[in-house]
Amino acid sequence: MKLSTYNFLTSMAIKGVKVGYPLKLTISKKDVVESEFNPVFIERLLPKLDWSAVYGAAQVAELAEDIPATQPENISDDEQLLQRLHHLLFEIDVLEGQMECPETGRIFPITDGIPNMLLNEDEV
Amino acid sequence: MHVEQKVNKAKKAEKKQRRCLAIIKADCNVAPSDAPTLNLAILNVGLSNGLTEEALLTSAAATGGQVSQVLMLPSKSYCFISCATLTDAQRVFEGMHNVATIGQLGAVAYLSYVLQLPREIEENGWQKPLPNGLLLLCNFITEAEEALLLQAIAIDDAGAACTEDTLKHRHVKHFGYEFLYGSNNVDAAQPLEQPIPAACDFLWQRLDSTKISGTFLPDQLTVNEYEPGQGIPPHVDTHSAFVDPILSLSLQADVVMDFRRGIELVHVLLPRRSLLIMSGESRYDWTHGIKPKHIDVLPTPAGSLTTQARNKRTSLTFRRLRRGACDCQYPMLCDTRQTTTPHAVTDKLATHASHLEQQNVHEVYDKIADHFSDTRHTPWPQVAEFLHSFEAYSVLLDVGCGNGKYLGCNPQLLSIGCDRSQGLLGVSNGRGQSVFRCDCLQLPVRSASIDGCISIAVIHHLASSDRRLAALLEMARVLRPGGRGLVYVWAKDQRKNDKKSSYLRQNKAVNKQHTTEQAQRQKLAQQLENMEMDQQQQLQMQVPLPVHTNRTEFQQQDVYVPWKTKDKQRTTFLRYYHVFEEQELERLVSQVEGVVLRRSYYDQGNHCVIFEKSSN
Repeated sequence: MKLSTYNFLTSMAIKGVKVGYPLKLTISKKDVVESEFNPVFIERLLPKLDWSAVYGAAQVAELAEDIPATQPENISDDEQLLQRLHHLLFEIDVLEGQMECPETGRIFPITDGIPNMLLNEDEV
Repeated sequence: MHVEQKVNKAKKAEKKQRRCLAIIKADCNVAPSDAPTLNLAILNVGLSNGLTEEALLTSAAATGGQVSQVLMLPSKSYCFISCATLTDAQRVFEGMHNVATIGQLGAVAYLSYVLQLPREIEENGWQKPLPNGLLLLCNFITEAEEALLLQAIAIDDAGAACTEDTLKHRHVKHFGYEFLYGSNNVDAAQPLEQPIPAACDFLWQRLDSTKISGTFLPDQLTVNEYEPGQGIPPHVDTHSAFVDPILSLSLQADVVMDFRRGIELVHVLLPRRSLLIMSGESRYDWTHGIKPKHIDVLPTPAGSLTTQARNKRTSLTFRRLRRGACDCQYPMLCDTRQTTTPHAVTDKLATHASHLEQQNVHEVYDKIADHFSDTRHTPWPQVAEFLHSFEAYSVLLDVGCGNGKYLGCNPQLLSIGCDRSQGLLGVSNGRGQSVFRCDCLQLPVRSASIDGCISIAVIHHLASSDRRLAALLEMARVLRPGGRGLVYVWAKDQRKNDKKSSYLRQNKAVNKQHTTEQAQRQKLAQQLENMEMDQQQQLQMQVPLPVHTNRTEFQQQDVYVPWKTKDKQRTTFLRYYHVFEEQELERLVSQVEGVVLRRSYYDQGNHCVIFEKSSN
């Protein structure tokens, strides 16, 4: 699972859960897959991402120093930060780990790089 | 030819013959005989490489040897014949071995005497009782009456409906009502100017006097003219179109008609001037057809088989319009019975929806994932076009992404996929695509975060209208204002403007008029009967739905569609589908608040909609 995907995931479908975001991420095994850096792509994508989950992911991925806690303005001038965001969002591949619902503690396992967000019928 | 070349040719034949004999020994445990026998294996040529029974018989006849039985084996490059006497067998052997070029591209036949014919002979359709309800009255009319009838139907074509152009294989003329081959039905509101000729009236009086069937007055006549080599694929006369019985009068020549039900096969010789009465089981539950051949194989009084060249034959089929639903006891081929989903079934589907989807969708896709994925590689052009209609850097969610074939389609998008099937997710993840597992009824995705959403061939697997709507509501929820969604579902109607979808076009046997959808349905029913018991029981426990015959028109909206694996076991899995009627998808979208239908269209057997989330 790429951390860009993580940014969109929520547990809000669980019965009684109000926000379900961001999910508490744990990484037990990850891979780094290099991909072509496109600063414009990152810049245009940022408004569609939730910064708190971007920052949260950076902490879990041990890249917290690279990413500021709040989204800086005029990020397009900061090529270095865009490069780091690219690395964080598109080059880190979570192979094993889990995500936890912040409200219920329900665990969503990540196995072989695929998060299992499937809920049982009695959970929805 | 030089001596050396002759030796070479003989050597080559011998080598080839040995190889072929090894094959038939392995395939059907048939051993060769050095001494002449009554049975001959025809090697190197067979049904699989274009040999027809007719070409074989013609070639054998040219040797002066009389053939009494032919055994063509499906998809084999060999076949067998039997002769009544050793002299006949020797004549055929000497005249054909390494001489007859009767296969595709002039492939030569090698012959060998064999000790016996293979055991798995297709059952002999001649030693069977006639199907129930079938009656053949020989010499029903005299030659003089035959001549009068031919004269009566040979009227100016302007009065009758002629469909010579649309039917490649025979000349057809209608009286009373036109039989419409597109719908396999008649339009009761559109009688033809020309009713059944009065010259036919004596037939009903004669039929009455036989006391065989009650008073029967037909109001529709179809005249078929068959030249030698022409036939009619196996079919049942549409139940809802005509009542019981159906009469067929043979004029000018004999022909062999084949009746089939599942694997049951009965040949019936229809002699010239005979009347065939199809009623009950034979009218409703069996298909009948005539093989397109120049030569018929017939039984001899002695009990063996012989051949007879066909001549031009005219058949008069007399029927009476039903004007309403069919009430027969034979559901298998009944269009009335097959085209309506009873309310009870819809209710049962809704009750068992999630269990049914689990067993007949999710589990099946997991089992067939690899094979399924191998068959899904080319993106559909109109889906690709939709994906390219987004500005660069948009976020795409593919709901039910399968093997992920659309995720890399537009590399300028951030594409994320999800699916229920772990097996298919494994395929797309292995290709480096970003995917997660979920149900399309609960997307674990932030609201209003996605620019574009596609769901291709997914929600037709949901077993109730509420659930299909719920899936659309979820897509609408995750779209941001101004975001657009594209949904494809399978259409019940696989034709548009009388053009078949590619799904139907791939039914080669039907398209080449070698068979009919009805015959394929019967065959499938037979296969299902032979399915393993546990799978049978599972079906019984589940909602009992009809099993769709692949590459044929859908009969009902809620069906099981078989998937046959390509491995050795050839296991059949049944996937649940709800195929959509026209406008059904649009109606569903109209129930989703906050989205506007932008476009709806029909694409190769699918109904498709593009909707947009409103901006406020």
